[in-house]
Amino acid sequence: MDPPPEPVSYVCGDCGMENTLKPGDVIQCRECGYRILYKKRTRRIIQYEAR
Amino acid sequence: MEHTSFGDQRNATFSLTEEDHTLANALRFTLNQDPRALFCGYSIPHPSEARVNVRVQTTGEPAREVLKDACQDLMLMCQTVRSTFDKAVADFKKNP
Amino acid sequence: MSSSDSGSDEAMTDAQQQKGFVSALEMPDVPSQKLQPHLELRRTRVLCNADAPDNTDTIQYSGAYASMGVDNSLRLDQFANNFRVEVKRLTEDEMEFDMVGIDPAIANAFRRILLAELPTMAIEKVLIANNTSVIQDEVLSHRLGLIPIKVDPRLFDYLSENDKPSEKNTIVFKLHVKCGKKGPRMTVTSDELKWLPSGSELLKASEDSNSSSRAETYTSFTCSQDSLPEFSSNPITVYPDIIVAKLGPGQEIELEAHAVKGVGKTHAKWSPVATCWYRMLPEVVLTQQIEGKTAEVLKKKCPVGVFDIEDLGDGRTRATVAKPRACTLCRECIRDGEEWEKRISLRRVKDHFIFTIESTGALPPEVLFTEAVKILEDKCERVISDLS
Repeated sequence: MDPPPEPVSYVCGDCGMENTLKPGDVIQCRECGYRILYKKRTRRIIQYEAR
Repeated sequence: MEHTSFGDQRNATFSLTEEDHTLANALRFTLNQDPRALFCGYSIPHPSEARVNVRVQTTGEPAREVLKDACQDLMLMCQTVRSTFDKAVADFKKNP
Repeated sequence: MSSSDSGSDEAMTDAQQQKGFVSALEMPDVPSQKLQPHLELRRTRVLCNADAPDNTDTIQYSGAYASMGVDNSLRLDQFANNFRVEVKRLTEDEMEFDMVGIDPAIANAFRRILLAELPTMAIEKVLIANNTSVIQDEVLSHRLGLIPIKVDPRLFDYLSENDKPSEKNTIVFKLHVKCGKKGPRMTVTSDELKWLPSGSELLKASEDSNSSSRAETYTSFTCSQDSLPEFSSNPITVYPDIIVAKLGPGQEIELEAHAVKGVGKTHAKWSPVATCWYRMLPEVVLTQQIEGKTAEVLKKKCPVGVFDIEDLGDGRTRATVAKPRACTLCRECIRDGEEWEKRISLRRVKDHFIFTIESTGALPPEVLFTEAVKILEDKCERVISDLS
């Protein structure tokens, strides 16, 4: 069985506030009501070739 | 390095890997200046392959010896250039 | 040939030079050791005519003048006697020198080696932990790669495919900048890159986190680089004041950059020179005496001031060639009709090279040149050993 879905935090596209959403939540910033939220960058290190 | 000559040693094509115009053109110059070389020239068969073919035809001596001497000449020229250059730089640094 | 013969030869040469050609009837029957002046001109000069340059090739074949009794083969003692180098300008990162008595094939080999085959150190791997700036990770890494690093590449080895990055082949830099939440935007310059002599500080994500061994970093240094004698007194730096990125309020960049040794033919970031070029020495010859008003016009025609006017006394003036080296061969002076083409001959000396090297800072330009010559020697040596 799938483990219970973890809440994922998003960044508001307008005010920059962090929002934690669960499946089924309304996609809206709790602070300013803006409806575009961005996924946060991975915490992993990414390797690039400097070319 | 591959070396192909059919029949006699006077005419040969040498295939140098990991080389380009830098060495081949300089070698062509020293070979042309050698009176024993009847003909010499080079070609790069394909631009994305690091390889040059150097063709040497001589008046009698084995082509490999003539090419070897051409390399030797080029090397001695380089040494002359280096010592002359170092001296000129040292002179300039002493009294610019 | 007797001395009186060669004396009359000289006299004829002058007359021929005046005329610019030689009639077959005037040629001596017995070939001399010297080339006829018109052939000598063709051998040593490029003629820059109004329509196109002429006679641009170099005569390399040893027997080119065999029928004239002139040997064109290479003799090293002769080369050593004629070869000359004169340094004109030398600064920390730029030099100009004249190289006289060498074939373009060799001079070009040096130039090509300087551009593409002399190694330097350059950032090759960028490990980005965080980048919230507007500049994309890929673009940021590319920009970092192009920053010149001030370190002698001869102190390092190449990092081959199955080598581990160690203190012998890798230089690690750290960049961690953050712009304040309030306040102006920030400019990140290359001097924010901080050298990490002990290697990478970022931990590799391991599969089993509770393994007994110490967490692994991206490099495996056995000792700190600043404990090595060559770096203890001069830390490795990069060229400062190069803008890498701009940060808005609250934005952050955190990364590590790994520099390795490489050559310019792999990627231009490893080229040790900004530019390296040569030009042949221009030669400007006035074939007629140019006087008075015409001389004034000629002086005005040249945009770089090659010509000057000389006072001959008794109210007459004459044009002279004051700065031939400045000539760019724009051919402005031989435009406006055939009479100008007759007055001035623009040439280039085929075996006189004005060589300019602009270093990016890793090595001084004079060292770069000697290293380039050494590389050509190594190439010859390789071929010789392959042939033996």
